Amino acid sequence: MKSVTGNDLVVIGGGPAGIAAAATASSLGLRVALIDERVTLGGQIFKRVGPGFDLRERKSLGKDYARGSDLIDEIDRPNVTVLTSTTVLTIEDGKVITSHAEEGIRALDYRFLIIAPGAYDRPVAFPGWTLPGVMTAGAVQTMVKTQRISPGKKIFFAGSGPLALAFSAQLIGLGAPVFRVIESAPFPSPVNALRLLSRIGGNLDLIRDAAKYRSVLLKARVPFKYGRIIVKAEGEGRLEYVTHAKADREWNPIPGTEVREACDALCVGYGFFPSHELFRLVDCAFEYDENRGGFSVIKDEWGATSVDSVFAVGDGTGVTGSYSAVAQGRLAGLQIASRLKKITEEERDSTAKPYARELRARNRFQSALNKMFDVGAGIYRLADSKTVICRCESVTRGAIDPIIDSTDDVSVVKGISRAGMGLCQGRNCQRHIAAMIADRHQKPISSVSFQTPRFPVKPVEIGAIADDSVREEKYFIT
Amino acid sequence: MSEFLVGYLSNQSNHEDPPRECDVLIIGGGLLGTSLAYYLAKEGTDVTLIEREEINREASGTNAGSFHFQIALHQLTPNMTNSEKERLASEVRLQVDAAKLWDNLEQELDADLGVHFDGGIMVAETEEEMGVLRDKDEIEKSAGLESHILTGDEMRAFAPYLAPDLAGISFCPREGHANPLLVGPTYAYRAAERGVRFRTDCGAESIEVLTGEKHRFKVTTNKGVIKANRVVNAAGAWTGELAAQLGLKLPMGLSGLHVNVTEPREYFLKSMVQHIGRRLTLKQTHNNTFIIGGGWPSRPEPYPKRYSNIWNSTSGNLAVALRVLPMLKDVKLIRTWSGVWAYTLDFKPILGESERIPGYHVAMVPTGFTLGPMVAQMLSEYMTAPKGSVKLPEEFRVDREVA
Ligand SMILES: Cc1cc2nc3c(=O)[nH]c(=O)nc-3n(C[C@H](O)[C@H](O)[C@H](O)COP(=O)(O)OP(=O)(O)OC[C@H]3O[C@@H](n4cnc5c(N)ncnc54)[C@H](O)[C@@H]3O)c2cc1C
Ligand SMILES: Cc1cc2nc3c(=O)[nH]c(=O)nc-3n(C[C@H](O)[C@H](O)[C@H](O)COP(=O)(O)OP(=O)(O)OC[C@H]3O[C@@H](n4cnc5c(N)ncnc54)[C@H](O)[C@@H]3O)c2cc1C
Repeated sequence: MKSVTGNDLVVIGGGPAGIAAAATASSLGLRVALIDERVTLGGQIFKRVGPGFDLRERKSLGKDYARGSDLIDEIDRPNVTVLTSTTVLTIEDGKVITSHAEEGIRALDYRFLIIAPGAYDRPVAFPGWTLPGVMTAGAVQTMVKTQRISPGKKIFFAGSGPLALAFSAQLIGLGAPVFRVIESAPFPSPVNALRLLSRIGGNLDLIRDAAKYRSVLLKARVPFKYGRIIVKAEGEGRLEYVTHAKADREWNPIPGTEVREACDALCVGYGFFPSHELFRLVDCAFEYDENRGGFSVIKDEWGATSVDSVFAVGDGTGVTGSYSAVAQGRLAGLQIASRLKKITEEERDSTAKPYARELRARNRFQSALNKMFDVGAGIYRLADSKTVICRCESVTRGAIDPIIDSTDDVSVVKGISRAGMGLCQGRNCQRHIAAMIADRHQKPISSVSFQTPRFPVKPVEIGAIADDSVREEKYFIT
Repeated sequence: MSEFLVGYLSNQSNHEDPPRECDVLIIGGGLLGTSLAYYLAKEGTDVTLIEREEINREASGTNAGSFHFQIALHQLTPNMTNSEKERLASEVRLQVDAAKLWDNLEQELDADLGVHFDGGIMVAETEEEMGVLRDKDEIEKSAGLESHILTGDEMRAFAPYLAPDLAGISFCPREGHANPLLVGPTYAYRAAERGVRFRTDCGAESIEVLTGEKHRFKVTTNKGVIKANRVVNAAGAWTGELAAQLGLKLPMGLSGLHVNVTEPREYFLKSMVQHIGRRLTLKQTHNNTFIIGGGWPSRPEPYPKRYSNIWNSTSGNLAVALRVLPMLKDVKLIRTWSGVWAYTLDFKPILGESERIPGYHVAMVPTGFTLGPMVAQMLSEYMTAPKGSVKLPEEFRVDREVA
């Protein structure tokens, strides 16, 4: 294992949040290492076109791309080391342990650590969700954005939240044949709409974006319906039909309102789960917020967590969008620079002002949006007994239900059913199982705890980890 | 596989308050506690078992599920004396008896427990290790455990997947494994059928010896007081802590152990593989994943936090695995975990009734997955027979002192 020493700050995650943090901290003289497992920086939104693509016209990729490029230019400094294609496996004793195909295992020490791992699509288990042709919005977006491939000839979009609208409009804008969009939340009530309007300050751009997205749909004559939810997907070997229905306030489908339609691609976007594994490994304190994706790390206004010298920024702390992610990154960078005495607290506060203001405005708006698109518990009740809940190990709801009669412990369900034991280590099914337990035992989902956090955060070859210089003699216990 | 365990215990009754009194109170719902509950209930004993977490969530549900019928490697040294060899032979005889119990256990409990006797390979890298392997082979044969030594082309033909330059191997056809996630819960299920009351989320906080009352013990839990005629301390790693409350000093120690599990690969490794000189146990499960462990440490954490894993344990453990099975190089590690292992200073079980505190029993054994059910059966025989008619081995005594 190689050591990379002398870092003032290590940033995990090269999305907008992480890059902004690295940019601010490095501009104030900190030695920064920025790690991302992808080949290029940019994270979810500033996703770069893959290698081999000709990038003659930056503009064709939209303003986000340009914004991302500017941000990346900011970290082009000698005191920033960028480690791409580098996966963080664990954090232990003040070291970030990473793996890289050629460099092998490297351990980075740090005085401060920022964890900015982003979020991933909330998986929704409904009958047929594992059929080829059914995809998450994030996967479709990546496909269309970086490879310019449309997932189908007739795309049905089911989801919720502002990103569902943004996604579908983007897809249409890029020429993908979306033919219908459904949103589970009800048509905004006057109360919700007023709340949103009252918090519009500092968010006009988002409203403008939303209006633009809406007009893209209108122009393309793609119907957009509130208050409907996906019920099932069917087909011989691949997707042929989707069924959707009216949803009640809790997102339960209302019987008798089902509509079945032919299509060859179903794009599912019901929000995001923050990637919380690294926060849990370092033992950060959590709180529960379904709209932020369930358990979310607790942090102060600078992003400091309950663990000394560990900061949390961006979507990994609850999805609030890329503007907010950048502001969070800047604030964390400033606070760390001040803790390391590179700037005074006065300097910190005066520089922080616009970012803090932006963040407050974004957060106020976001929480109003969240109220509007409140995730309903019905999302966890779509599966029938034959629906697979754990994809990695092919465990169905029918196999899990009876075990839940005996226990309210996620880990026991896992031990007996194998749900959550596969490659993804429960990233996709644990929340669903927790919700089933909460439903069955009539308790809040926030009281059902996760399985114990363990490394590696991502699967990694034995050959990359094995280290013959570690000898057990010094460990012998007997 | 899981079908049998569906509804194995009722979550609702498990969470009820414990009864105010009982004959035998077992503290701890690991394999020792659940199997003892089963054997006692089979003889008609009135049993309550309390577990402060969930059944089978500590060592019994976190171990590697290997049968250690062969001599454990930490017990072997080069140039052993004859008395050392005789002591080891007596242990092997106990292990052979345990193997017989496992032969019949799926039938006894009428359940699939994932029991397989696919043999065990012990590898030696050096000539010195080869010498130890030959001693081990000799002791085991003398105690009635079948064992074979293979070297050179014979070894390579028998186990072509092993590194070809190993000095040699021994093969024990009797070795095997079972699924640790199923055995404890199945015992619990069968015990509950026979009337044992299980209470989870119910921890023993203090124990008092009563005098001049109907019951001998008063156990205070987080869910009220239970009075019992007899108490069995089957609290695994916490056995010593609990016994200390009554002034008993048990000869035991604790260690966190590290385990690795990989993604599945096409099944090829039938037998468990161990190393005679280094810390390694490696097997391919029937889910086709590889479980790799062998005694690398994990880091203690204050209860109730689980012991955390140590990176060097993974990298060191996997290096030994690759030395022995180089073809695992590109198999992906997906998770590690750890459990707390309780061992005794002389490697003998602590089993029986305290002479100083009559009615107070202890059930603790280091290779508890392999030997747990058998020692529980021995203790049950002792507890259900008329006083004095069944004797437990002298060297298992609860009140013994170990230097
Ligand atoms: C699928 C998806 C699509 C989105 N699309 C849009 C959109 O179209 N429009 C819009 O306005 N907003 C969109 N958003 C929201 C917006 O992208 C985010 O708010 C913003 O990208 C958040 O930035 P971030 O830095 O927190 O996370 P991210 O941009 O997700 O960056 C996190 C980075 O961390 C890296 N990482 C994570 N774990 C590890 C590890 N263990 N080791 C190494 N690296 C690691 C990842 O590779 C990733 O690059 C989307 C979000 C998601 C999840
Ligand atoms: C990682 C690891 C790998 C191992 N591999 C093997 C192997 O391959 N083969 C083998 O033979 N052995 C192996 N062992 C050893 C074996 O697992 C144990 O010896 C055996 O499981 C012990 O069983 P037990 O019932 O005594 O303990 P446990 O299973 O730990 O059960 C004790 C129970 O008591 C409960 N408890 C504690 N205090 C209280 C209280 N005050 N009130 C109520 N309840 C309480 C605990 O919560 C726990 O559930 C391994 C152990 C570990 C940790």
